[in-house]
Amino acid sequence: MVWHITKREIYDNLNSLRFALTTVLLLALMVTNAVRHLREHPKRVQRYQDAVTESLNRLTAHADENLYKLAQYGPGNFYKKPSPLHFCANGGEPLLPDMVEVEEPNVFATDSEDNILLQGVWSLSYPDANLQNKSVGPDVSQVDWIFIIGYVLSLLALLFTFDTFSGERERGTLRLMLANSVPRHTVLIGKFLGGLLSISIPFTLAVLVNLLLISTSSDVHLTTEAWGRLGIIFCLALLYTSLFLALGLLVSTRVQRSAVSLMLLLLTWVTFVVFMPSTLASIASSFSPTKSFDEFWKQRNPVQEDLWDKYREWLWSDELDDETLRGKSDFYTEHVERSERWREGQLKYRSSQMHRARAITSISPATLLQHLIESFAGTGFERHLQFVGNTQHYARQLREFIVDTDRGDPESLHIINVREGMSQKPVSPAAVPKFEDTFDLNEDFNTRAMELLLLTLFVVVLLAGAYLAFVRVEV
Amino acid sequence: MLLTLIRRELLDNLMTFRFAAAVFITLLLVVANTVVLLKDYEQRLTAYNTATQESYQRLREEKTYSYYIGKLVAHRPPNPLSIFNLGLDKQVGNKINVYHGFVPTIWDAEKHRSDNPFLNLFTSIDIALVFQGILSLLALIFAYDALAGERERGTLRLVLTHPIRRGYILFAKYISAMLCLLVPLLISLLLSIVLLTTSTTIFLSTNDFLRLGGIVLTSLLYVSLFYLIGMWISAMTRRTSTALMLCMFVWGFLVLVYPNLILTAVEITPQPDTQASAYNQIKQMWEEFDRENKQLLRNDPVLGPLSRDGEGWGFYVEGGEYTFGMSEDKPSILLYFFQTGFYAGKIGAESEPQVPRLQNYYRFYNRETVNTVQRTWLVREPALEAIYIHPANLGRTLLKFSPAGLYDAATEAWAGTNLEDIQDFFNAVQRYRRAVLDYFDDEKIFESRQWFAADHGTADWDALPQFSFQRSGVDVNAKRALPDLFLLLMTNLILFTVIFLIFVRSEV
Repeated sequence: MVWHITKREIYDNLNSLRFALTTVLLLALMVTNAVRHLREHPKRVQRYQDAVTESLNRLTAHADENLYKLAQYGPGNFYKKPSPLHFCANGGEPLLPDMVEVEEPNVFATDSEDNILLQGVWSLSYPDANLQNKSVGPDVSQVDWIFIIGYVLSLLALLFTFDTFSGERERGTLRLMLANSVPRHTVLIGKFLGGLLSISIPFTLAVLVNLLLISTSSDVHLTTEAWGRLGIIFCLALLYTSLFLALGLLVSTRVQRSAVSLMLLLLTWVTFVVFMPSTLASIASSFSPTKSFDEFWKQRNPVQEDLWDKYREWLWSDELDDETLRGKSDFYTEHVERSERWREGQLKYRSSQMHRARAITSISPATLLQHLIESFAGTGFERHLQFVGNTQHYARQLREFIVDTDRGDPESLHIINVREGMSQKPVSPAAVPKFEDTFDLNEDFNTRAMELLLLTLFVVVLLAGAYLAFVRVEV
Repeated sequence: MLLTLIRRELLDNLMTFRFAAAVFITLLLVVANTVVLLKDYEQRLTAYNTATQESYQRLREEKTYSYYIGKLVAHRPPNPLSIFNLGLDKQVGNKINVYHGFVPTIWDAEKHRSDNPFLNLFTSIDIALVFQGILSLLALIFAYDALAGERERGTLRLVLTHPIRRGYILFAKYISAMLCLLVPLLISLLLSIVLLTTSTTIFLSTNDFLRLGGIVLTSLLYVSLFYLIGMWISAMTRRTSTALMLCMFVWGFLVLVYPNLILTAVEITPQPDTQASAYNQIKQMWEEFDRENKQLLRNDPVLGPLSRDGEGWGFYVEGGEYTFGMSEDKPSILLYFFQTGFYAGKIGAESEPQVPRLQNYYRFYNRETVNTVQRTWLVREPALEAIYIHPANLGRTLLKFSPAGLYDAATEAWAGTNLEDIQDFFNAVQRYRRAVLDYFDDEKIFESRQWFAADHGTADWDALPQFSFQRSGVDVNAKRALPDLFLLLMTNLILFTVIFLIFVRSEV
């Protein structure tokens, strides 16, 4: 019986004007998305590869010279690997930095001839944002899957369901249908499935055309894993669409006239999908105390000053004995540690503020969808934090490697980060660990599971609401 | 007769649920966003004030003139009307160095440090955007059943049995719906202005209120355009539900899809070779200047040895404390320059005879720098125009095919946050740089001892011309908004005529 109602619903929709319009709209959007991706992605990958090669060359050059040079200058900058699923979610690309910088070693003191007396070692620093963006053009979002699903598909879902019951009631066919011995929940499920299937048809078609275009091009390669993630994203899209279908059914059962039903739905949609995310984010971020850049900057100086006092007796000595060198080494190491900790503190403060804002905006299903797709596509804010984590992990690894290699050299004094105390032998570049930016789906699955659960909960609650409303309604 | 019709329509509209919902939603969104935007504006204003003060103090800490780079800074104040349309106000840098080594442009400007740049990931919403989305939706909701509904209910036939002109009916419907739509627009705008006046940091002048009037006028035309689109659909369709659905598709396409789609589809980046060739040309000019300069230094029997054999990194004189090289090399914005100099606290007696020669050299060097900058500017200006301005303008023009884009452009022009207004500021900075250079010329500062030494009197920063910037007047804003306003008006008229023709000829 359910299947019967579903089938009738689909036939009804297939012949309608809205079905045709939906198909055209979704196809246009998906084709644009694919064409854009094919045009941009090879350039993005090329930029990334060039940058990585340059970093690698620097690392090799330092390693070829000697171990001290490598310990002092470290690797080149780290770059974020572009995701092959960038077309699903661009993740605010120009607003997030795509690199972690390796700062040049600090020069602490020079003599009058500009000869360096004291020089520290490299450290990690986190640039603010991509500063290359100098565009003065109009500020509009790019068409990615998040836009197509989050905004357009949800609107279309409402347009497909707003008159499910109110329309039938207006035409009087609802009474006719319920006069048969059909349980009401069967009708509801049939209607829901019918709506879902009839909106899935144009969407699936558009997705297939999009993926066909992307996968047939020789420039872009999608791995099996990427296809798997695409499958998950597709399922997410259906779940998200069900949410709006359920909302449409709920409102449609309670409201007598279909026009009023659509109006209510649209106003809800505009509020929750279009305006709520950014307004709530701004409100949420103003809750947490803002710590301005200046305050952070002021924290920096006391952190560094007592270091100078602590190591004063060794810093200005020209002696090459063990104790002086160790003093200098400790000074350099601690200096780097402190400034890295300070920078990380700033990053952590900012990202915790961001996390709070993101948590509050999760009231809007559109934001939930955005977070989920971003995390499966490997772009966006969480991915950025993962990339930063990767670089930190690698930095530790490289420092350990340097200590270990130094230990292998019998001529060295094993005093790290000081020229006189370290191995002066070149290192084979092949032996040095290389930075590999990986994207790991399993990491931090908790938040994602939470968001998925929340989205499912929304759907279930709305469907249950629609059921209750429909069971109790007078026809 | 017309009045009776209008009254009937007005009552019909006012007593509906949709009217209440419209007012409620608009108020909610506008108030919530005003609060947020106000806070954001205050933050930017604070950042501007601190930065202005800081650079004022830092400039006065310098004792010699040559160290004025990075300290003589022009700051762009945030525009209070950016609350209504943000435009480029936040996107473009607001801190620009004034220096003789380059001509300041939008792209050389930096941003004041924002507290948490990650928060920029959330799209910012201004009041024009709320109106753009909500008011157009409301207009369509009011319009979809204007004719189709009456036809469905059969009341249209009843009304037309009376001796009433069909034009009157259309006009009455239009006027009453516009009056109804004006209510949420004006109330929400009023509330947001009330909120603005509670803030102590914002002062709205008479001119600002005139600009707000312009925004209201534009909003009115925009709403009316969408109402007419809805009415057109309503006149063409038999059933209200079809009309409503079509209206929603049109809304989704014009407001939501088209702006994003068109800018994704059309590639509006310029050829990369214009950038490369212009950059190389500029670089060559500087290198040529550098060669001549070094040649001159090397051939000079006195200055040659002092400057590390013509290396040109400042001079070693008795009492010289620092030498510096200042350079920028940013191919993407065609910025390339370098300057060298040095600082002496107190020049020793041994080097005293060389001071006039040094002064003479710096006269030549600085004058030549200014000339080189002028020459490179002739290449840089058109190239920047081709790389950044033309694509941006093309993008804006493409957006104007949707009424939403027209509305955005017009309100931006009224609020004074569009590209031209931002350029006004940078033109003012360029004029200011000119004034500073003229002052340097007049007072012979390039060739003064205070350019590099702090022993015979230090730089007098208070005598320097002060930078001031006035936002362009309402007349200029109006002139910039007028083309878009006119387009909106014309579309309105054309649509009304079309609807009239359809309605007059339609069978009831």
